Amino acid sequence: MSELLDHLLGTPLLAIALTLAANMAGIRLLRTLGAPAWCPPILVASLLLAGVLALLAIDYADYRRGAAWLMLLLGPATVALGLPLHQQMPQIRALWRPLLACLPLAALLAAAYAVGIAWLLGAPPETLASLAAKSVTAPIAIGITEQLGGSVSLMMGGLLITGVVAIGVVGLAAGLLGIRDERIIGFALGLNGHALGTVRAFEISPVAGAFASLGMSLTGIVSALLLPLAWRLMGA
Amino acid sequence: MPALRGFLWLLGFLLSGEIVVTLAGLPVSAGVVGMLLLTCWLMLHGGGFDDIAAAAQPLIAMLAMLIMPGVVGVFFLVDELAGQWMAILAALVGGTLLSVLTTLWLMRRLMGKTVSRASGPPA
Repeated sequence: MSELLDHLLGTPLLAIALTLAANMAGIRLLRTLGAPAWCPPILVASLLLAGVLALLAIDYADYRRGAAWLMLLLGPATVALGLPLHQQMPQIRALWRPLLACLPLAALLAAAYAVGIAWLLGAPPETLASLAAKSVTAPIAIGITEQLGGSVSLMMGGLLITGVVAIGVVGLAAGLLGIRDERIIGFALGLNGHALGTVRAFEISPVAGAFASLGMSLTGIVSALLLPLAWRLMGA
Repeated sequence: MPALRGFLWLLGFLLSGEIVVTLAGLPVSAGVVGMLLLTCWLMLHGGGFDDIAAAAQPLIAMLAMLIMPGVVGVFFLVDELAGQWMAILAALVGGTLLSVLTTLWLMRRLMGKTVSRASGPPA
């Protein structure tokens, strides 16, 4: 049995099939249960996948090596976000001033709040470095985390929790603050909730999705440029 | 095969992004630079719009699934991070709560000014 498993893990096929199956199962399960919109299928799918890996005694490193073929698609998928960005350009142009004023501050605060809270609660430097990029889209966040000396696995987990919380909180807080503008809601989803928030924003409307793409990519750029610098200044 | 042609377009922009990032020594990922290049290309009315759309839409729809292999790794860190979970969860949940409120509040303030200066929000 374990020999067969080793043989199957020799190619990326099993890892990719498991990931796709977990994703489908997550979506199907949430639809049958009628789960609320803030609960993204990826949360359930990740738990399912972790369970299956543990059950089959597949080493995470082996799984990851195969699934890297799937993550390769993150590159073209990020490029693809240029399409909605182009389609909504008139809307974005009309708001370029507030967007540009809000972004650097909000992106840096997204990192500062989390690192500050963890620091107050006594987390060690490596953990702090893993939390700093929690709102940044995965391909950029991996680079930042390596530069700061954090753990990429912890950062990716943080990405999931941040995305889920951002999706829930944006909806609630927008209601509380009386904000109904889909452009603001989309921007906040992308800025704070990276790819997961952006996927949610596209469910709201194409306009929200485009503003989320914009928030996500600008947060990525600003964080990549400023976080390593801020880190050095803080002497961490 | 519009989707395949579109995928080739996307790969072309990704590779262009990779070249820019490498030559300029930028700390940003090739994907983000490729995305900006694609936006500029489409705004300049470069070709291939329908092909690019055919490949881009399904890729955007699977964006969340593509980070799953990385995300799952956190469940295998449980032992290593014993005793830190409270701090980590508080930081992620509390930090995200605060940063979402900050973004929404900032945007409302900043946009309020723009909207009152202009004649109103665009349709």
